[in-house]
Amino acid sequence: MADAALFEFLHTEMVAELWAHDSDPSPGGQKMSLSVLEGMGFRVGQALGERLPREMLAFREELDVLKFLCKDLWVAVFQKQMDSLRTNHQGTYVLQDNSFPLLVRMASGQQYLEEAPKFLAFTCGLLRGALSTLGIKSLVTASVAALPACKFQVVIQKS
Amino acid sequence: MTVHNLYLFDRNGVCLHYSEWHRKKQAGIPKEEEYKLMYGMLFSIRSFVSKMSPLDMKDGFLAFQTSRYKLHYYETPTGIKVVMNTDLGVGPIRDVLHHIYSALYVELVVKNPLCPLGQTVQSELFRSRLDTYVRSLPFFSARAG
Repeated sequence: MADAALFEFLHTEMVAELWAHDSDPSPGGQKMSLSVLEGMGFRVGQALGERLPREMLAFREELDVLKFLCKDLWVAVFQKQMDSLRTNHQGTYVLQDNSFPLLVRMASGQQYLEEAPKFLAFTCGLLRGALSTLGIKSLVTASVAALPACKFQVVIQKS
Repeated sequence: MTVHNLYLFDRNGVCLHYSEWHRKKQAGIPKEEEYKLMYGMLFSIRSFVSKMSPLDMKDGFLAFQTSRYKLHYYETPTGIKVVMNTDLGVGPIRDVLHHIYSALYVELVVKNPLCPLGQTVQSELFRSRLDTYVRSLPFFSARAG
């Protein structure tokens, strides 16, 4: 993969651009920008989901797909693996990254906490898109307690 | 051997960051004026040094020293200036200043989407990493020399 800095700079600009053009400061407007970012991530995730997996047989069950996300997808995009994966075995998975590359340069603690969600929206979409290509419908949300650690919660939608 | 303080300026003279570790005497003027004085002086010395140089210049102005302290200077092609005052026992520290620029400023400020360039750095992470780094330098001793 190309130099990680290129993706980081591009991502930074995407977030900044969406916020600059969004003159509606109300929570409704914020949500619009977050969902645009998430949508972008979704389409990128769908494409990565097609391109990355090497063997079909590896995905025997849902947990394998999640493991693939934590290992291969994360390494391809962020040059590191996810730090932990937990599940309640009933369709909810919590993926934890203790030093998320898009947040790691910002702060180490509480500073900038309210801005952090903007930088996670694209990645939530990325996860949702990759899962969708692999046949799993889901809802992905992210939360940050203290930078740069963050958690992505994946809830599988049973249709 | 010790480090007294550190200034970081951008190309327009904005003081991006200032930290001090051992400074026994203040300048007696408000901080804003002190930064302007420092920047103006550096600007003048740089052009003086290149004009009056009897040989072709390579790196340009590197440092000056007085009977009590030494001021080290490092400038990047983008106009970022790192200025560190240390005591006299310290030799050339160009690589240290370069590290402050590349591993701290570029990594934690330029790459931080929430730090607008051209303004004083607000990032706590930058401040604490810089502090840790300076304290870990071999010529920094906790006791002021």
